[in-house]
Amino acid sequence: MKRSLSFLPWLLALIVLAMLPELLPVKYYLHLSILALIWVIVAQGQNLIQGFTGYVSIVQAGFMGIGAYGSALLSLNLQWPLWATVAMAPVITALFALLTGYPSLRVKGHYFAIVTLAFNLIIVIVLVHYSELTKGEAGISNIPKPWGGSREAFYYLALVLASALTLLAALIARSRVGEILLAIRQNEDLVAAVGIAAWKYKLFAFVVSAMYAGLGGALYAHFQGFINPEIFGVAQSLDAILAVILGGAGTIAGPAIGAFLVVFLPELLRFADSFRLILYGLILVLATIFMPIGIVGIARSGFARMTGRGGQHGG
Amino acid sequence: MPNYKFMPNHTFTRACAALAMSLVCGASLAAEKKLTVGVADALTGGGAVYGLPQANAVKMAADEINVAGGIKVGPDVYKIDVIAYDDKANPTEATNAVRKLIDRDGVKYILGFCCSGSTSAVASFIRNEKAVMLVGNAAERSITTAKIPNLVRTRPPADYSGQAAGTFIARKGQKRIAVLGALDVGFYAQYVDSVERELKKAGGEIIAREIFSLKDRDMSPQLTKIRGLNPDAILVVGYVEPAAFVYRQAVELGMNIPRYGFTSGSEEQFLRVTTSEQMEGVWDLRPTELTLLSASKNGVAYHANYTKIFNASPSPSSPYAYDQLYALKAAVEAAGTVDNTEAVAKALRTIPVPPQVVMQYQPVDGKMFDSNGQAYTSNGAFQWQKGKWVFVEDLPSDSKAYSQFLSTLN
Amino acid sequence: MLIEILQQTINGLAIGGVYVLIALGLTTVFGILGIAHFAHGSVSMSGGYLTYFLVTAQGLPLLAAIPAALAAGFLLGVLVEMLAYRPVRHANHINAFIVALGLTMMVEGINLQLFGHEQVVIPTGLNRVFRLGGITVPELRLYVIIAAILLVVAMMIFVERTKTGQAIRAVAENRDAAILMGVNVKTIPLIVFGMSTALGVAAGIMVGALFAIAPGIGEGLVVKGFAVLILGGLGSFPGAILGGTVLGITESIAAGFISSGYKDVIAFVVMIIVLLIRPQGLLGRAP
Repeated sequence: MKRSLSFLPWLLALIVLAMLPELLPVKYYLHLSILALIWVIVAQGQNLIQGFTGYVSIVQAGFMGIGAYGSALLSLNLQWPLWATVAMAPVITALFALLTGYPSLRVKGHYFAIVTLAFNLIIVIVLVHYSELTKGEAGISNIPKPWGGSREAFYYLALVLASALTLLAALIARSRVGEILLAIRQNEDLVAAVGIAAWKYKLFAFVVSAMYAGLGGALYAHFQGFINPEIFGVAQSLDAILAVILGGAGTIAGPAIGAFLVVFLPELLRFADSFRLILYGLILVLATIFMPIGIVGIARSGFARMTGRGGQHGG
Repeated sequence: MPNYKFMPNHTFTRACAALAMSLVCGASLAAEKKLTVGVADALTGGGAVYGLPQANAVKMAADEINVAGGIKVGPDVYKIDVIAYDDKANPTEATNAVRKLIDRDGVKYILGFCCSGSTSAVASFIRNEKAVMLVGNAAERSITTAKIPNLVRTRPPADYSGQAAGTFIARKGQKRIAVLGALDVGFYAQYVDSVERELKKAGGEIIAREIFSLKDRDMSPQLTKIRGLNPDAILVVGYVEPAAFVYRQAVELGMNIPRYGFTSGSEEQFLRVTTSEQMEGVWDLRPTELTLLSASKNGVAYHANYTKIFNASPSPSSPYAYDQLYALKAAVEAAGTVDNTEAVAKALRTIPVPPQVVMQYQPVDGKMFDSNGQAYTSNGAFQWQKGKWVFVEDLPSDSKAYSQFLSTLN
Repeated sequence: MLIEILQQTINGLAIGGVYVLIALGLTTVFGILGIAHFAHGSVSMSGGYLTYFLVTAQGLPLLAAIPAALAAGFLLGVLVEMLAYRPVRHANHINAFIVALGLTMMVEGINLQLFGHEQVVIPTGLNRVFRLGGITVPELRLYVIIAAILLVVAMMIFVERTKTGQAIRAVAENRDAAILMGVNVKTIPLIVFGMSTALGVAAGIMVGALFAIAPGIGEGLVVKGFAVLILGGLGSFPGAILGGTVLGITESIAAGFISSGYKDVIAFVVMIIVLLIRPQGLLGRAP
């Protein structure tokens, strides 16, 4: 696909998103859109490790939690200004990701998934039990909100950050590093065989993906004003995976679309009440079986068929 | 109809009948107005044990109030309509649900709130909304120490009961108490702290604080450790489902010492796990809540109606939500407005205990809610005797003193 | 002190036996099909729920309900393989894992719809307690441990001594060679899934009788099951047996002597340390 053409939908999407607060009469949808933009950041991070590198990590929400608690505690206990705590959040998360990435990345495939899942469980247990610092299950209230809690202003902050980080993800994907990550996904042994230290690149992808999550978590904390360990459990990590798969793994637009889906879909499914979980699981299974390339993949191959060009698969 | 969707299926038809009836009644009175109240509560997931009965209780109260003529505000009569959303006891879901209620459905009065995490999340922003929040079973103390003017809570904080429990245990003469509980949950830890303060006054102490989590069912490792310490008694604080296993496994490990608890479980919930012999003699030291033996006339009627409509016994804590609606009715009528939420929130803090409530409140200076927005019930000592919880005595509880203590916290 | 250590070891054996059964199912599926069957715990709990239903609502004696539930478990496993995993067999392994996650949500949701949110306990009427010196063992726990041992031995005999068992092993060791030898690789996955799920259901019944079945319990168990696999070595039978026993006893000792709040953390840390020292697990073959 030509670059000039692929630029257009992005511009359109940005214009619509920029006008969204004007277009939405009901603030509830603005609230959900802010959450969705935060999830765009989290999902773009997840995509780096899951979509590009081919390692399913189940600790994304745990890393969100580290960013969220880090930022909240810095602002409440040390009175740091908000921009500084939010900027520190990915740094703190990166440290944890380095610590956990080393043992996790010694193993591949399912081992890796399970080890990261264990880390998510450990993070939640520590958040619950280390209550001198985290206030345990009761959670932390009164986390400072920027601009007196104005949702419109926060929306634009989230939009700017989500766009910038999506762009950054695109840049990483198109760089040499991105190419190597893709090569690792396709055949890791081959990458090693040509003399590239694959583990460095995998660790890079893992740490950067965690930094995305840490920033997303910090934004969540300062948007909602309240956090507790429950929010950062394995179920939410699965949401990050779901966002990537539904949207289209290994694409740039995919996680963005998927993030909006995982936030809005459960709200739209409220009518289903107690069947929500079953429906959600069913959508996941069917989507993986029938559209493993995600919405973006399907849109692309449809577009390609229409214009008579060969489709490019997102994998 | 969608309001009734979350009820168990077999009660669905009855609910339809009840709804149809109230619609017919509504039609005959013609020009009355409608007041929509929202419920945010755990209708699925682990918290549903507490949340679902609360949501049902609000429905039931609404139907009763409607049949009895609705809420009277000046010349207008309002019939109550209830919208209930599931918050899965999850903070994010609860925030989304309440945002939907306030922003999209235009609801000003939100009831329910069984569980502390989701409740704290909503409490953290409700101050800035033109809405009033009435909290039920969520026991975390900090919910009413934040001095939020438009929030009240019907359930007393756990440590209010803990103080009474500590005095009771000390009076029984046991000195070395081992605690096993869900101490990772704030309000359970606060309960134990209160017990410890009272014990110390009598020269007693807590010699172990062992933890179980919500999903643990094998507590024999913790109990084995406690057994090795030779305590005079054990104190079990936590949700019913794991707590029942503690009582059973303590017997299996041959621990023959007094067992105290703070679990608020029903007989059915315990007998699913233990035999009656394994439970014999266990104490439960807690707010009196809904127990048939100690229940007032209102309590007996509540139990009967709930069982009839929903085809299941009400949970002991469900009247906290039922009482919310009667308190709201009294406050709206006292304020003389449904639109001015500030006036209604203020009125909530001045009303006496309405005659229709089920729980046995101990008013502070004649008011149902104190200046913190907190209500207090009496506490009781219950003992398991031959297959049943038996109400043995009221626990000495000083709502006025506790209210003053609560005001000093923030 | 010695008595306490012994008592804690016995405390840990029962849950260890459950872990072993869950892990044996997982390891067979993984070793032969390369699938991380995350839904295994929730599917297994369905079997436990079914037993509860047969005993309490249908009035079946426990000893009749158990074989019925095991048979139902076998069929359920076959269905899961055909409907959910077969369509993604040739796709990336990530897809199978994500199908497993979706399946977990569905099965948990269905369990919730059918059996409610309150915990259920399978009634057994076995309440005696044996005492030996200072050590106490409830009879039910003893039976659970014995049953777990019998099932493990039966499984070993099946895999070592029967034709089907040998075919399964052949596929596990070398798929292409097995095809050349004339092993039917279409039916093997069905048998493997059926058998693994039946083993899981056995674990579900044990959990339901000794402890309780409730929403989320299955998910917790499957995570422990995978931890066992990693401890013992993916695809290794003896590894699953050793790993499960070690994990059960570690948890018990950790809760009794270190910290009950952090016992799960300690168990996972042990797993991660093993991984750092021996990435292939305690009894896994070096890659």
